[in-house]
Amino acid sequence: MSIKYTIDGVEVEALEGETILASATRAGVEIPTLCFAENTAIYGACGVCVVEVEGVPKLLRSCSAIPAEGYVVHTDTPRVIRARKTAFELLLSDHTGDCRGPCKLNCPAGTDCQKYVNEIKDGKYFDAVSTIYEAFPLPASIGRVCPHPCEDACRRQLVEEPISIAFLKAFAADKVLASDNKYVISVGADTGKRVAIIGGGPAGLTAAYKLREYGHAVTIFDQQPKMGGMLRYGIPEYRLPKAVLDQEIEIISNAGVVMKNNVKLGRDIAFDELVRTYDAVLIAIGAWTSVPMRVPGEDLPGVVGGIDFLGKLGMGETPVIGKRVAICGGGNTAMDACRTAVRLGAEEVYVVYRRTRNEMPAADIEIEEAEEEGVIFKFLTNPIEIYGDGKVEGMTLQVMELGEPDASGRRSPVPVEGKTEDIKLDNVIMAIGQVANCEGISGVELTKKGTILCDEMTFRTNIENVFAAGDVTNKGAGIAIAAIGEASKAVFCINNYLEGAEVRYKAPYYVQDEKTEADFEDREKQPRAGMPGMSPEERKNNFKPIYYGFSEEVARKEASRCLECGCHDYYDCRLIKYANWFDVDPSRFPGEVHKRDFIDIANVIEHNPNKCVLCGLCYRTCEQVAKKTFIGLYNRGFNTIINPMFPKAEAASYCATCGLCVDACPTGAMKKSF
Amino acid sequence: MSCGCNHEASDLSLLADVLDHYRGIDGSLIAILQQAQDIYGYLPTDVIYHIAEETGVAPAKVMGVATFYTQFRLKPVGKYLIMLCQGTACHVNGSELIAASIKDELGIVDGETTDDGLFSLKHVACLGCCSLSPVMMINGETYGSLTPDKTKTILRELAAKAGDNA
Amino acid sequence: MKIVVGEGSCGLAAGAGKVHAKLDELLAASNPTGSVVTITSCIGMCFLEPIVDLYDGDQLVRRLVHVTSSDAETIVAAVNSGDLSLLDPITITPEDASFLEKQTRIALRNCGIINPMSIDEYIARGGYSALEKILKSGMTQDDVIEEIDKSGLKGRGGAGFSTAFKWRAAKNSAGDEKYLICNADEGDPGAFMDRAVIEGDPHNLIEGMLIGAYAIGAQEAIVYVRAEYPLAIVRLENAIKDATERGYLGSNILGSSFSCKMRIKAGAGAFVCGEETALIESLEGKRGMPRLKPPFPAQSGFWFKPSNINNVETYANVAWIIANGGEKFAAMGTPDSKGTKVFALTGKIKRGGLVEIPMGKTLREVIYDIGGGIRNDKEFKAVQLGGPSGGCIPASLLDTIIDYKALGATGAIMGSGGMVVMDETTCMVGMARFFLDFTAKESCGKCVHCRIGTKRMLEILGRIVEGKGEEGDIEKLEELCMAVKDGALCGLGQTAPNPVLTTIRYFRDEMEAHINEKRCPAGECVSLITYSIDKDKCIGCSACARKCPANAITGEIKSPYTIDPEKCIKCGNCKTVCKQDAIIVR
Repeated sequence: MSIKYTIDGVEVEALEGETILASATRAGVEIPTLCFAENTAIYGACGVCVVEVEGVPKLLRSCSAIPAEGYVVHTDTPRVIRARKTAFELLLSDHTGDCRGPCKLNCPAGTDCQKYVNEIKDGKYFDAVSTIYEAFPLPASIGRVCPHPCEDACRRQLVEEPISIAFLKAFAADKVLASDNKYVISVGADTGKRVAIIGGGPAGLTAAYKLREYGHAVTIFDQQPKMGGMLRYGIPEYRLPKAVLDQEIEIISNAGVVMKNNVKLGRDIAFDELVRTYDAVLIAIGAWTSVPMRVPGEDLPGVVGGIDFLGKLGMGETPVIGKRVAICGGGNTAMDACRTAVRLGAEEVYVVYRRTRNEMPAADIEIEEAEEEGVIFKFLTNPIEIYGDGKVEGMTLQVMELGEPDASGRRSPVPVEGKTEDIKLDNVIMAIGQVANCEGISGVELTKKGTILCDEMTFRTNIENVFAAGDVTNKGAGIAIAAIGEASKAVFCINNYLEGAEVRYKAPYYVQDEKTEADFEDREKQPRAGMPGMSPEERKNNFKPIYYGFSEEVARKEASRCLECGCHDYYDCRLIKYANWFDVDPSRFPGEVHKRDFIDIANVIEHNPNKCVLCGLCYRTCEQVAKKTFIGLYNRGFNTIINPMFPKAEAASYCATCGLCVDACPTGAMKKSF
Repeated sequence: MSCGCNHEASDLSLLADVLDHYRGIDGSLIAILQQAQDIYGYLPTDVIYHIAEETGVAPAKVMGVATFYTQFRLKPVGKYLIMLCQGTACHVNGSELIAASIKDELGIVDGETTDDGLFSLKHVACLGCCSLSPVMMINGETYGSLTPDKTKTILRELAAKAGDNA
Repeated sequence: MKIVVGEGSCGLAAGAGKVHAKLDELLAASNPTGSVVTITSCIGMCFLEPIVDLYDGDQLVRRLVHVTSSDAETIVAAVNSGDLSLLDPITITPEDASFLEKQTRIALRNCGIINPMSIDEYIARGGYSALEKILKSGMTQDDVIEEIDKSGLKGRGGAGFSTAFKWRAAKNSAGDEKYLICNADEGDPGAFMDRAVIEGDPHNLIEGMLIGAYAIGAQEAIVYVRAEYPLAIVRLENAIKDATERGYLGSNILGSSFSCKMRIKAGAGAFVCGEETALIESLEGKRGMPRLKPPFPAQSGFWFKPSNINNVETYANVAWIIANGGEKFAAMGTPDSKGTKVFALTGKIKRGGLVEIPMGKTLREVIYDIGGGIRNDKEFKAVQLGGPSGGCIPASLLDTIIDYKALGATGAIMGSGGMVVMDETTCMVGMARFFLDFTAKESCGKCVHCRIGTKRMLEILGRIVEGKGEEGDIEKLEELCMAVKDGALCGLGQTAPNPVLTTIRYFRDEMEAHINEKRCPAGECVSLITYSIDKDKCIGCSACARKCPANAITGEIKSPYTIDPEKCIKCGNCKTVCKQDAIIVR
């Protein structure tokens, strides 16, 4: 005899003796549970499966409650949500570990570095590349040029140095590009929706790729002759060979992205028309205008913008420069420009920067290599005048010193009264910053800086179907991976918009731990792999790639240094899934947090009590399924813990080493160590 | 958890009668552990293993029971076991001051034993002598209507008595 | 003359054993009138212990209180000489005697009167007649349950569930093997009613259980007694032995076809084992972690067989109900709550002890008429009912009647009978923290809401009493309380928030004073108070300075002393010792 009842308005038929949980699950209504498993007896510990039944005063645990005919069950009442959410928050208030490694969390695009590094360790390069593609579609390119925030966060530096994550990415991507088994983007079923992307740089390409995965039709409009944006026109060949970029763009193009180059807004196509004819528009035009220095003489012939200078090379042209060149600025564009100037034959190349080397935003390695190539750094100097008769002849520099730290924490340079310097020059390259040029984008509200004003969580502009991402938005130019990160969140929002769902992006909740050097004292030190490449002499007069890339042996060894900070069980962890489902905030319940040692179980399983939710599935499975009783509960209350009870020698006679306990664990508290 | 303790092996033969008495009677584990504790003063690890083996209850279960109930001790206690009542009436009438005076006098808190092995302190659930609150029980003897001074006097007398016997 | 020494646990703790020994010793030397010394158990006047009663035959002639072993000589002298006026100084006052006179005793009817080690004394007062009535008059199982149903008896352990309903469910469950269990794991701090019944009248419990076992069809009865009650176990063991010998227990009881054996199982220290399914787990020799209900024990209990569990006081009413009829029981009390209820009245009360009164009396009657009001004539502040599952009821609700529904409406519960009275010097936030500390320690750890929820509540309350409370803490506590009530697996967790919720409900201003003003109005929270000396009251006797363990008090003899707040450890010694009431606590 079956029983009919409703749950959240859905009619459910329960078989005789069947619980609400079982029958609701069968009917497609998801009820969370941490402690229930079909092969063990009902236990009732987690309390997250509670439901409210009309006319029943108490909430019922659906894992055990048998419905009665005509029950009206709800899973979404404030009471049910409060009870469930509180349970998750309480569990998480005493749950330590890292859901994801610091590398992933610090990557603006959320790339799962730990996962692909470990796939590289195992020699699974295609898997590694697939992992990177989950975040963005330009692994070989970005692996070469990224300033790698992942490595800044890498915990391996608490042992000695961070993992060489970016180069490992390039390594794996190169391997796959060179193989017969190239990466193919899987395109979603056609949705009938059309999206226009303006700008084919890292943001635009990433957006196009992700939109195709959803099955939307995508057209990229770009004013340059080729796609790639700053990757092509801002980064010199010796750092990123364009042949590599071309291959990665081709993969995107093969996914059915329509790419239209040499199209300039306002000239070749009207922005309004795109807004009208496409379901959504994403503006990702970047920031291409060099910031002027506002010093006398900056309009003299021989003064050029850093982006314009590098852009010419990207077009295949060779800019003409003199023997003495100064680059103003301390960022990565300044480094690209000075090293390019060296390669174009300049004999005296200066970098003029108003602070010291410590404050330079450019990557350390870039500064080092520029120095090796003979670039002269003039720190604590600031141009006050460019002079010359009809063309640049020299520049007067104000000598600076460091004053008090400013709002950003950097010590601001102040002029040393009356102290100047003079350098003789043929060219000045301005690389103090880039701004967006939003000409032709009519009707979109801009910020004071001239960038596009868009909501940071929806990526929406003031026009309903117009979104923006990358360097062109709010705070302006940043690094490529940040633009990629914005683009991928923007696509999430665009897709939701196209599907009529809530548009807002929400950062997922993760459990994060804090570690110090002391936590890794027992680790053997293994130095970071150096990247082999050309000597300064070999490289300074040509644009050949300066690095040779890792050998397979070096790459796999380097990858094996990974500490695997992120939880091994992240993808299967029910706790983190529910935590995000219920939008938890465990910080509401601060208090004592257990910090317990890992427990070895019979030399085959590692139990981490700090991630244990005491659902009891491990020991109940051991007892009821494996028919062993090797592990059990110790102590009580807040100090309850799962423990085996044997001197190791005797373990074999009790533990079947079947690993069923590990499989049963709903979180990452159990790990096979065999 | 391996048995890393280095205590001397317990005389397991002392337990034979108890084990025989309960042999074949399901659910006797708690009673066996209680009597084992009466015999040994606490539950040494080898005794726990022995009980597991003899009863057929998995050692993890035996240990689970032994660590669940507050009555069971896995470490030896002092000559005098001070059981300080934590009942409501004792609380209202100042049992916290008594705990403080014990700490003051002996330097131990709940669950600890003095270095000389003379006194152990254990906070216990209501002893049911609420009208005499605050109350403590030392080796079966109840001391009621305690004040910090009275507590110290009692402890000093017991310590002196132990000294005389030594 | 029969000299009866009150030897319940608390009497013994107060020195009754020494008095008894001394009486024996003195009478051994000289006993011209042939007096005998015997015992009874707790009569419930704990505030007068040790108590010695003098009987002439069955007639109580003198009740002597606060008896010391040196008083024993006077007693023996009086008894030997017949001049009882010698005993006037230690005879109970009429006022104190009214403590008992205002009560109606059913569950406690023999307590403090009979010798609990004597089955004959029980039988002499009508004991085992109810059992005989059933077995000899041919009452069926249903007849017995019907009679209990008529009485309206509800479970006295706390939840107040209909006893007849439970018995009927267990009786109707399929299966031949059934168990009847007595929950004597009386764990509420401040409650000792059940102990008094077992120590004082064990056969009454046995008889009640036998009737229950007959009604549901159980062949085995088990008493689960908490380990902290060694004397109760001794007396119950003796009673079971005697009852078995007399044929009240065992096979074919009183020649009928009804057979039932009984045994005792000692708990091992876990409050949660008062929860019926945890108790069953513990009986099976396991960790006392509650099972999920349903199935209820009536369907699947001990060893997964149908089982009925009631607490001691519930069974203690059963023989009386069968002997006197359910209607007579139901005639007492209120429409919702029939019969009487036993309370353990303690705390800042003048006359503390065991009180059994008909349902429907007010809290005020119990506290003031029977209990004599607040000790040292301080101000009544609150009464705590139901222990860690209950709550604090404020002065404004003193006229609430003792009735399951009425007490439930206050946010507290009837509970098992702990009634702890508090005066103006008790901090209500500290009280809530005390109970949460208890529950958190006693949580079995199985379910999330209780294991971590009570811990977090305790931590929040801990911060508040330490002066580290924050705006929003009360709301956070309330929310957590509601979630724990809804989400916890068993009664322990589901009711754990009650002490906090009632404190918020009735003493919110006191909680806010801790949080917002960092002030403890009761002057109890050590982190929030300072000690100083009232210059006008201090006479410079130096008593406080001599008692100060921190040497924080200095001054010149005969002029006012001062306390150095930096050195003061707030132990309160000075306040205790000062005869001038010159110590100011703020």
